[in-house]
Amino acid sequence: MTVPVARRNLLSEKGRFAISVGGVAFAVLLILIVVALYRGWSQTGEVFEKLPGEIWVTQIGTSDPFHSTSLLTSGDVGLAASVEGVEAAVPVLSRQMLIPIGDGEESVRFMALALPGGLQLSPDVVAAYAPAPGDIVIEETLSRKTGLKEGDRLVVRDVDLRVGEVRPRGGDVLSQFAFVHYSDAERIFGVGDIVNYAMLIVSPGSSVDEVAAAVSAGNDGVRVYTSTAFAEAVRKEIDEAFLPVISILVIIGFMVGVAVVGLTTYTATIERAREFGVMKAVGASGGFLYRIVLTQSVILTASGFVVGLAAAILLARLAEQMVPEFVTDFRALDLAGVLVAAGLMSVIASLAPIRRINGIDPAMVFRA
Amino acid sequence: MERKTVITAQGLTKSFGSGSGQVKAVDGISLAVPSGEMLLIMGPSGSGKTTLLTILGGLLHPDSGSVHIEDVDITRLPDKKLTELRRRKVGFIFQSFNLWESLTVSENVELSLNIAGVPGRRATDKAHAVLTELGLGARLGFAITGLSGGEKQRVSIARAVVNDPRLVLADEPTANLDSAHGYEVMMLLRNVARSGDRAVVVVSHDQRIREVADRVIWLEDGRVKDIGRLFRDPVCGMSVEAARAVSLEWNGETYHFCANGCRRDFEANPEQFINRRQAGEASVRPAMEGDKE
Repeated sequence: MTVPVARRNLLSEKGRFAISVGGVAFAVLLILIVVALYRGWSQTGEVFEKLPGEIWVTQIGTSDPFHSTSLLTSGDVGLAASVEGVEAAVPVLSRQMLIPIGDGEESVRFMALALPGGLQLSPDVVAAYAPAPGDIVIEETLSRKTGLKEGDRLVVRDVDLRVGEVRPRGGDVLSQFAFVHYSDAERIFGVGDIVNYAMLIVSPGSSVDEVAAAVSAGNDGVRVYTSTAFAEAVRKEIDEAFLPVISILVIIGFMVGVAVVGLTTYTATIERAREFGVMKAVGASGGFLYRIVLTQSVILTASGFVVGLAAAILLARLAEQMVPEFVTDFRALDLAGVLVAAGLMSVIASLAPIRRINGIDPAMVFRA
Repeated sequence: MERKTVITAQGLTKSFGSGSGQVKAVDGISLAVPSGEMLLIMGPSGSGKTTLLTILGGLLHPDSGSVHIEDVDITRLPDKKLTELRRRKVGFIFQSFNLWESLTVSENVELSLNIAGVPGRRATDKAHAVLTELGLGARLGFAITGLSGGEKQRVSIARAVVNDPRLVLADEPTANLDSAHGYEVMMLLRNVARSGDRAVVVVSHDQRIREVADRVIWLEDGRVKDIGRLFRDPVCGMSVEAARAVSLEWNGETYHFCANGCRRDFEANPEQFINRRQAGEASVRPAMEGDKE
């Protein structure tokens, strides 16, 4: 333990220290919120990974489930079902639709699975994705946006639906999913024997990739995705649209942090130039002085990080209450990354003050 | 016991500026200070005192000449080695104290130990011991801003000696102090020299303190000027040079005075002043060369 010069130096101006910590906290908050929002939004498409099928068969040319139409015939579904290794081919109806809510309308992605009997599915999966006829299962986000609660009724194209269950919020921010019985979906938006997708459940012991390749080879009118690839096709859209914006915001946040820490450390060094000169005169090595400056920066960034992290989590919770789509996901790896970035801020912010210290002539201490 | 020379300067010169504006701040100065001695360098403002001190402390390179601290020629050392040497062998005391105001009294001294590689409890204990020895035991946790000028200078002295340097350099250590505190600080410095077996070099233009020094050299225009022997004015106690003093023969002895006023007072009642000196002034000030001729 040595004398805590850096801490004393910073805390001798408590007001400036508080403002500086606030500045760093703001930068950290900005970075964390943006990254957490990105992570939250990147969960879009996770429903395709949670559903029991491992393979999704779509019409040829379909790029993703949200921005591209897919129409398959019952023949396409039958072909897929006949491939070795396919335990079941589940016809899926899905469509983004406006539903009347009070005096207005809300956009909802309807989805319905024609699950064949005899499949061994967990009760939770059935409850979430295969409601009884006349029931609709919605997510918490949609519930909060529309005010619909369990037991409420709504009529969609003359089909009377009752909210059977409100599921905890998922990560699908771009679109809120609503699951209805297959027969209800047929009545609301069905067109003859046309379905949108076929969800394939692969037999135990079969290779998903091999089955997918076999399905694709057996029908040149379809495009086959594994469930992960199908979900990633949605996320690709988000990455392309948001990542450049997020990157710029993160860079701005980083620069704000560097500027605040740098300015404070530089000012604290300049103010104490004479004292640093005394240290040089009495034999302090460059390393000893640099450690003081670096410690000042580290104290500032660490304090700013802690305050910024707490503020970001609090802000995310508050924002989520007001805006249901404000879905954030604070991941440990991202926090570690921001911490590393904060450390980098400290180092970069120390460069100018260290340069200043190098320029101090120790003989100056003899000048009155 | 033979006293070893701690610092030796030979033919030091240092100029600032160039051409017609060139000023010779130090011009061919040589000196040597043994351990246990306090050398006082006096002179008017601009005489080169501080420049000389800065060179002696290894903070400024001379244009020519050499400075040896013990056996090391510091004028030939690279900056890194010079920094190490200052850390181990030189203590500095400054006119304006130059203490870290954000640190406590104790921490100011501990910091010097930290710089020298002494960490933690050992540094704290040693700082406390030195400060207590200098009468600051009750001020260890005080903020620097809460101290008087005399106390601040004592902290400076503690900081300068805590690493047991062989050489202590003090620049105008009494300039910001009243005469009582100035005298006290000089006595401490003399003690630093004697009890610590160190060489102490003090730069000052404060006439009040010259009597405390073991030796005084006078600097003018960067050169050492012989000031002759110093005598004490028996009336006011001031140190005076024989060449510049008002003198008086009385009872077979020559007495030197700072001015005619003192001489008149002495003439009116010589015994009063002689008896006072004999009664024990020596106990409150050091014996001086030429107290009585």
